[in-house]
Amino acid sequence: MAALTTDSAKTDPLIRITDLTFIYPGSVKPVLRQLNLDFHQGERVGIMAPNGSGKTTLFYLLMGLLKPDSGTIEIFGKPVRSEKEFENIRKRIGMLFQDSDDQLFSPTVLEDVAFGPLNLGKKPAEAKLIARDTLNQLGLEGFENRVTHKLSGGEKRLVSLATVLAMEPEVLLLDEPSNGLDEETKTRLITHLSDLDLSYMIISHDHDFLYELAQSNYTMKNGQLEPMERMHIHYHSHPHTSHRH
Amino acid sequence: MHISEGVLSGPVLISGGIIAATGTYIGLKNIDLEHIANVGILSATFFVASLIHINIGPSSVHLILNGIIGLLLGWAAIPAILVALILQTVFFQFGGITVLGINTIIMAAPAIIGYYLFSPFVFSSRTVTTATAFVCGALAVFLSALLMAMSLMFTEENFLEVSALVVTSHLPVMVVEGIITVFCISFLKKVRPEIFPSYRQQHKSLNSQFST
Amino acid sequence: MNITEPFAIGNSGIHLLDPRPRVVIAVLFSTITAVLQQFPPLFLAFALALFLVFRARLNPVIVGKRLTILGLFLTMIWLLVPLTFEGELVTRFWKLNIYLPGIVYSAKITIKSVTILLIFMSLVATMPITTLGHTLHRLRLPEKLVFLLLITYRYLFVIGEEYVRLRTAMKIRGFKSGTNLHSFKTTAYLIGMLFVRASVRAERVNQAMRLRGFNGHFYSLEDFAAYRSSGWFLTFALSLLILILVLEWLL
Repeated sequence: MAALTTDSAKTDPLIRITDLTFIYPGSVKPVLRQLNLDFHQGERVGIMAPNGSGKTTLFYLLMGLLKPDSGTIEIFGKPVRSEKEFENIRKRIGMLFQDSDDQLFSPTVLEDVAFGPLNLGKKPAEAKLIARDTLNQLGLEGFENRVTHKLSGGEKRLVSLATVLAMEPEVLLLDEPSNGLDEETKTRLITHLSDLDLSYMIISHDHDFLYELAQSNYTMKNGQLEPMERMHIHYHSHPHTSHRH
Repeated sequence: MHISEGVLSGPVLISGGIIAATGTYIGLKNIDLEHIANVGILSATFFVASLIHINIGPSSVHLILNGIIGLLLGWAAIPAILVALILQTVFFQFGGITVLGINTIIMAAPAIIGYYLFSPFVFSSRTVTTATAFVCGALAVFLSALLMAMSLMFTEENFLEVSALVVTSHLPVMVVEGIITVFCISFLKKVRPEIFPSYRQQHKSLNSQFST
Repeated sequence: MNITEPFAIGNSGIHLLDPRPRVVIAVLFSTITAVLQQFPPLFLAFALALFLVFRARLNPVIVGKRLTILGLFLTMIWLLVPLTFEGELVTRFWKLNIYLPGIVYSAKITIKSVTILLIFMSLVATMPITTLGHTLHRLRLPEKLVFLLLITYRYLFVIGEEYVRLRTAMKIRGFKSGTNLHSFKTTAYLIGMLFVRASVRAERVNQAMRLRGFNGHFYSLEDFAAYRSSGWFLTFALSLLILILVLEWLL
């Protein structure tokens, strides 16, 4: 699964954001102000910025859950604006939510992982097979009939990832994936994510996590993405000094 | 508030079932795709909140909250209450299969009446909202008790004394629910006005906020 | 909050049966029991319900506990109805008249309520809520209702945990519930907070559902073919139900 499509030329970005501006209704200050980004196939990008700087908003705009005030989003070489266009995009880009309880709304694990494939028109037997394969791939054998609300926080995060991967996306948007995980689960998540043959963007406050997974890092300032020097995160080995924004 | 199995007559149970099914049908029609999660999760909240006990002197009562759920959900309150009652039956064996319909009406009909009478005043001045919210919460409980008493009376005229007891025993609950409804509505109005369908209808274009 | 489904998992003959006929029979059987007027068919119904509980191998202690829920209600019935259902006088106790029709009526209510509860525990409570949802879907209940049931069930626990956290935070700050305005106000704010969080969460859940292509269709993965065939059960239950009805008509 998760084979990358190679039909678009290497130089064309998977996602191109041009002058994206977004203002929350009732607010005057834009969260995103003329934001630009080129995101290429195979890239693994980290975004680290203070709360409220618009990281999640950016993901929501990319998924079409919010509508920009101005600017354009091109995905897979085509501009996306309408709900219909975004519906097609959502089949190819998967987003992992901050809170797994938002993502896992079915009572059992198998139902939840199969939900996406079923909506994509897969037959129940086929959807079950995909769900099982995805769970196995993440080391979650035997989780099919587990009841979602009884899973631990780490298990919930991994199952959430499975629900996204089961839709066989080409790009992942991960919103604080390591939040609230113990070291062991975090290591597991890092292993699985780095093994994936996918491009992804990660929002995180976790230096170690980004150090392991992201090739390039951005921060957000005044509603725009700014590249961070690699050396800025060299102090990943001193996690206690890491919060000096 | 619910009636146990084994008390009501066939005609009362069957009429209850038919009215509840019709109401549920209308309620479901009123829920679009975007709001299924909202109705389900508010229904879960209603379930949890109605397990909260309030002390009244030496005894305690559990809250009913059908006035609030009516203001929050409108017609969707009927399926939401039905679902909560099914789960109560499964988890606690409160109520049951044959009284599911009548119990849904006992709880949901006052919710709908409250929705029509009082949602226009949720965003009025403080005094008006306080007064109407109190009446909404208290009236919903009163009407539920009344419906319960009526279903007993339709079953057997000899239930007069029992019915009277049902209504009078709920009088203190009415007052408490009225007070709770006042504070709860004023809180919701301040903190998240878009939770009220009447607010959403007036501000249709509004993209609601979420934290980044 | 302690919500459990103590009977849902098991491997008795009843647990392994197809859930669809179980739900159908439970509805039929409960409704018939609710409208019975005569004692012989009522006793037969009670016996059948007991037999089902026995067949489902339910833990008798838990069954007993669940039955005590009826205790308060039945106590009220027995205290009031024999005094108010006027008719043939049985005895005078102190200054109160105790009437025969009242005693008969109370007895019927007792048998009916216990029987219907036993039917529910043996036939319906013996499946997890998810299975119940899928079963109702197969029995042609609206998709939206089934979705609602399953979503409500799923988030019951999330919101229950939020409630416990808020409650603990209140306790730590010295809140004690009493009969006063301050207590009512605090409780109302707690409930308001639960609703606010639920509403914010619902928005995110809805977005997560949309991202995964939710289109309102309920696809069931429940494999009903995996259950034991229910031919004998249907025949047995239906013939007894007919017998109960015949008894009711004849007497």
